[in-house]
Amino acid sequence: MQDARIRLSAACLLSAAAFISITGAAAAFVWWLVFTPRVRCIRHRMAVLAAGVLFCLVSLAIVLSGGDGLSYMIRMTAILLVGTWLYADSLPGDFPALGTWLLGQKTGFELGMIAGMAMQAADGLGDDVTRIRLASAQKQVPWGVRAVVSAGRVVIYDALRRADESAELLAVRGYRDGGTCCPRFKTTFGDIIAGICATAVFLVAFIPVSEFFILYR
Amino acid sequence: MRLVLDSIALARPHWSLAAGGTFEPGIHLVSGDVGSGKSTLALIMAGLAAPDRGAVSRDGIGQVMLSFQFPEFHITGFSVADECRSWNLEPEAVLASAGIVVSPERSALSLSRGELKRLHLTCLLSREYDLLLLDEPFSSLDCPGKEWAAGEISRRRRGITVVFTHEQSIFPHTDHIWEIREGILTDCGAMPGALRAWEHAPAIIQRLVAEGCIPDDLTKESVVEAACRMQE
Repeated sequence: MQDARIRLSAACLLSAAAFISITGAAAAFVWWLVFTPRVRCIRHRMAVLAAGVLFCLVSLAIVLSGGDGLSYMIRMTAILLVGTWLYADSLPGDFPALGTWLLGQKTGFELGMIAGMAMQAADGLGDDVTRIRLASAQKQVPWGVRAVVSAGRVVIYDALRRADESAELLAVRGYRDGGTCCPRFKTTFGDIIAGICATAVFLVAFIPVSEFFILYR
Repeated sequence: MRLVLDSIALARPHWSLAAGGTFEPGIHLVSGDVGSGKSTLALIMAGLAAPDRGAVSRDGIGQVMLSFQFPEFHITGFSVADECRSWNLEPEAVLASAGIVVSPERSALSLSRGELKRLHLTCLLSREYDLLLLDEPFSSLDCPGKEWAAGEISRRRRGITVVFTHEQSIFPHTDHIWEIREGILTDCGAMPGALRAWEHAPAIIQRLVAEGCIPDDLTKESVVEAACRMQE
């Protein structure tokens, strides 16, 4: 999808639809099948797999406590798939452009820049975790809960340090607040269709399952 | 004991690396610009990444260790003491050897990068390896720290030690120089003859070579001795 505005709006609508109901989650999944490169858009498969395992564990806990774990699992999986597509489709500069278009050169630019930097940091996390795993293996530390907690500490610590260094660098360069960005968006016919369909998915989420499957009545 | 790179090659959309050669016991220096592929080559040599083509053979090599550029990747203990013990070392001895004055109970990640690098290198270099690969061992260190690290590395007399660095001022004792030029690992040869073929040599080395005062080694003492010869 070329237009970052439609991409983010679609992702928000689809995520909301998936969160609202199972019907919405099923419709969001169909949208994901039709309008994205599907599994090819999953960039960090291990991270997605880990998130999937986490959802399974939470679902199991919900089932064991008498709740509807299956519903949670389906809705969260749909949100995860939409998120992986949004992440994979984003291009450098998308967020500052989007923020500026939405909220102007001061607040919008700053929020967009922060989002852009966060995405950039997220890109490096996979490599960091891989290196930490390799380093642990060399020390013959088994990759268990303790090692994962230790790796998590290092990843968070590194992310905070990089953020601190970036902030200092911006201050040294004289950055105070806001900036100048002249966003330009390219909208294709496919983007418009996908956007309309995402809106339809959002509306479908409010229809009860019994209304949707007419034979059910 | 030797490590052989048999025509290995790796290609990425905007970058490629090709390497061939044999690494015998001793201290090898692999130099190259930032982004030239030194870290990737280190991973391949350690057997932690695979090349697209070619093969790496490690004849008679058992214990392999790769030190990453960022020391925090190696931290598995919460406190400094935990970290030292994770290498089966006594914290007090490590801190004394590293030359850092901190409480062993302090969180390892609260140390500065330079202190963490010293701590990591001290722990790492306290053990013997058949193949030790050091990716940018001088990064994050100030000049005294670099000199300390160079001294510690120079003390290694057993196995193959490969130092990957773009450092231009302080070096350990070096037996062999390699250089990554435009994505190709080039064998500059054994010291001191290697200095003639080292294209990205530091300015002082280039000057000394041009004046015919070739230092025997890359250590500070050898370079100063050669510079004194030049002035005579």
